[in-house]
Amino acid sequence: MDVVLIIEMITAALLGAVIYTVIGIAPGTDETAVLTPVTLVLVLTGVEPIVILAFFISSIVAKKITDSVPVAVAGIPGGVMATPMVEHAMVLKKHGMADISIRKMASGSVIGTMVAVPVSLVLANALIPFADLIKDYANPLFFIGAILLALMTKNKLLALASILPFALLIQGLRHLYWGIGVVPEGTNVFISFFLGITIGPVILTLFELLNKDKRISLPRYRKKNITFSKKNRYKGIPNPFKILTKKELGTTSLTSLIGSFTFIMSPVGITIFLGELFSSRIKDPVKKASRAISSMDGLTNAAYISGTLIPLIALGLPLSPMAIGPAHALFNAPPVFTPEHNMHHILSTSDFVWATLIGSVVALLITYFAIVKYSQQICAFIFKRIPHEAMLGLFFGLVLLLAFMDAGWINIGGVMLIGLVAGTLHRWGINYGVQFMVLYSAPWIISHLVG
Amino acid sequence: MGKLNNSEEINQSADNIEVWEDLVSIKDLVISLLVCSFTTLAAYFIAPNEPPKPLFYGLVGALIGFAICSFVVKPKRIIQEEESEGN
Repeated sequence: MDVVLIIEMITAALLGAVIYTVIGIAPGTDETAVLTPVTLVLVLTGVEPIVILAFFISSIVAKKITDSVPVAVAGIPGGVMATPMVEHAMVLKKHGMADISIRKMASGSVIGTMVAVPVSLVLANALIPFADLIKDYANPLFFIGAILLALMTKNKLLALASILPFALLIQGLRHLYWGIGVVPEGTNVFISFFLGITIGPVILTLFELLNKDKRISLPRYRKKNITFSKKNRYKGIPNPFKILTKKELGTTSLTSLIGSFTFIMSPVGITIFLGELFSSRIKDPVKKASRAISSMDGLTNAAYISGTLIPLIALGLPLSPMAIGPAHALFNAPPVFTPEHNMHHILSTSDFVWATLIGSVVALLITYFAIVKYSQQICAFIFKRIPHEAMLGLFFGLVLLLAFMDAGWINIGGVMLIGLVAGTLHRWGINYGVQFMVLYSAPWIISHLVG
Repeated sequence: MGKLNNSEEINQSADNIEVWEDLVSIKDLVISLLVCSFTTLAAYFIAPNEPPKPLFYGLVGALIGFAICSFVVKPKRIIQEEESEGN
């Protein structure tokens, strides 16, 4: 491997670590919505695949370390995946241990990464012999995935009933675009529909703001009060093996290992289940909470890495909640990546190993040290300087751009329409997983089941 | 100055709504959406028409919009620092 490429990978990883340290801390940022648009743009601009992978791995490791920081400091999750930890982190905060909580969580993340990287590489290679079999059934598998995920939601019947109408909406728009000639027939508009689903909840809320009655009846708030606990800076070089107790290290390694194997299931669900399972028998509330948060953080990190790497290396098809969500651009970003020609086909095993190692090591070095030492200052800066409005504006701008590039002005309307429907479904409890699976299987559903 | 800040606080009070798990003011949100959409699309259209460039310009445009908004709009969060002793 040549030196220029390695330098490019390190630079990309540095960039990813810095950007997602900031975004990770900012409250209420959905992983898919913040990771996919940026990765997509990088893929479409033609950056070397191996450099993108280093960027992406670094981004997810940094994001996973930092999204638990606002949980510890203020009880606000920095992302969906950090939500299960809020309850336990609040116990530690109440005992005046917010700083310890941050160190335990960040150290859990480090362990999770260290377990998940080798395990994912081994598991992926073990899966390769079955890859062709799985690939032959990819389309029905996505459909089955949609049904399975629908059955796991709260309102099962509602989720099941919405699969067909949503598939019709997607295919209907595609056929319309072919019909009026903005997109050549047979080319499936994909990226912008994907993003429309992702920011659906925001689009729905924005439309509601145009409804006068609704606008007036919306609950109004003053500013959000966030209480920080002042703490001394961590002295010395942070070492996860010292910050975590032996028992915490053991549980965290175990949950991370299980999390790597269960890459096909919902990471949030597994995190809640295992975290509670391993901490429920501990009596002392502080020990219980710190065991729970360290093992949960390790697990979410592991689930992210394995959910990306295993399908990417073994299959080249996004058959995991992580792959079909945040990591999506690595699998499918036409015209650069398609299901038949993406990172899986372009990169060799050693490329995967290198990109993963560089990405994760850079993120661990930068983000872990920065967070353990300066979490307080970083958090305060972001809470005081980065308005939520600017974050929403940034992602809205990117969605507009990609919508226009996919199919011209008409598609901005199309993406709004998808967003309105997807946002409503999301509000009803039909999660992204179901919707993304439908997006994938829509052509198959229409041609094989109802066509 | 103190007085001015106080009256500003009262004018702004209870006017924020929740979008995506955090508070925003409708006016600032509209400004941010317009600014970012404008900078993103403007950068996209002024870019030379050679494949990766428009997209790259667009991304930079979006980031410029983000920077402008971060400068113009104040976050709707109040940070209080407390000395915490174990209790």
